Amino acid sequence: MSALSRDAIRTMMAEVLQAQGKSMPTDDSANLEQIGFRSLDFSELALRVEDEIGEELNFDAPELRQIATVSDVLDFLEQLQAA
Amino acid sequence: MSAGVGGLAGAGNRIITRGFDGRWDELEGMELPDAAAVLVRDNHEAARAVWAAATGDTEVLVASRTRVTPDLADDLRSAGLAIVDGEEVTAPSTERAATAGRVWLLTSGSTGRPKQVAHTLASLTTVAGDQPRRTWLCPYAQGAYAWWQVVTLSIAHPGQDVLFIEPDELDTWPARALEVGVTAASGTPTFWRQALYRDPESVAALPLEQVTLGGEPVDQAILTRLTEMFPKARVSWIYASSEAGATIAVHDGRAGFPEQWLGREADGRATLTVDDGELLIASPKRGEGIDRVLRTGDRVEVVDGRVLITGRIASDEINVGGAKASASAVRDVLQAHPAVAWASVRGRKAPIVGSIVTAEVVLSGDATDAELTAWCAARLPDYSVPRRVRFLDQIPIKETLKSDV
Repeated sequence: MSALSRDAIRTMMAEVLQAQGKSMPTDDSANLEQIGFRSLDFSELALRVEDEIGEELNFDAPELRQIATVSDVLDFLEQLQAA
Repeated sequence: MSAGVGGLAGAGNRIITRGFDGRWDELEGMELPDAAAVLVRDNHEAARAVWAAATGDTEVLVASRTRVTPDLADDLRSAGLAIVDGEEVTAPSTERAATAGRVWLLTSGSTGRPKQVAHTLASLTTVAGDQPRRTWLCPYAQGAYAWWQVVTLSIAHPGQDVLFIEPDELDTWPARALEVGVTAASGTPTFWRQALYRDPESVAALPLEQVTLGGEPVDQAILTRLTEMFPKARVSWIYASSEAGATIAVHDGRAGFPEQWLGREADGRATLTVDDGELLIASPKRGEGIDRVLRTGDRVEVVDGRVLITGRIASDEINVGGAKASASAVRDVLQAHPAVAWASVRGRKAPIVGSIVTAEVVLSGDATDAELTAWCAARLPDYSVPRRVRFLDQIPIKETLKSDV
């Protein structure tokens, strides 16, 4: 299955947040801590992406870096799919 | 004659299998080698093997044909058992003298290839004293410990008839049970959940006086459901295994057993202790060669004066970013939801946190993913709340009548 678009990942991220009773900010520069998006949420989002593309993501592939904003999450998952 | 504690006092009891309806002592004979593993196709064949062993001096293992792989058959042959498969008899690869009256059981094999545990009809007969007249439903896999419990009860005690159910009758048994007049039924929680999910009206129509659960952790939700459905019945749960034998029987309709039972010593009863969250059992009904104090591998938790047996230690713990979620605790919370008929909980490998909690659920009513998540979030720490919920159309059930093994 082909890689998910940035918009599709954003929609999934909104679903994860919604399931936790939180909302997705309109601004991708929003800080994850402030919107309450935690590591458990990030893990769930990654599994949703895996389920959608039918492949396991390789987290060892890209360089680890600071993930602090919504944009960082979307960049990272986009990059993982390409890895 | 290799009789159990009650001898063969139940020889005149009626047993009903597909293809046979008569007394134990009317079963067609079966010629068995002195030490035999009998691979059976159905309960009729299994009953014949049991009766042949009980009335002869045979050492026997009875197992469903589908359970015995070629590797396992080789193990059994090297342990000195001939393999009897229909008309075909394969000699053992190790010659030894048979031990009259020995009955071999296979462990469930949840941790690898099934192991053999030695019993006798006497050690398998755990019910003593006069028993009320009953017709039992036996849905268990041939040769399993729980199957032997029903079989030895029927052989040793008058007035204990049995209707045996084949695996392919699991969907239709209530009608047959009603026709035969079943008044007592024993099954795993998964068996009961499946029955109540598929056909609650037919199940409720049964005139049950005794409802028994065992073989898997027994949670309050299923006990309550059965108690409400059968207000006149005694609802019991039994803790038993091939290794330990039947060691705990609880009849008050509540999950777990009273904390006061821990450490209690009494003749003929198992002594129960807890070490580091694990249930330890010293059982007079244990198999031969089994440690006097057996580490069961089952996790227990003491809550409000009850000792709850929650699940297997090896498979229960899910490490979510360093926090320990209990699969059985999550499963119990899900199964307590009014719209959930059955649930199974596992860890799934996940980035960042190592693993997250996921669930498979069968609904008997209406509930959404979000509602179940909210239900769990109100009762469990956040790391234990399932992050992925998959809805199944039917309750998965294996020949062991269990979901997970």
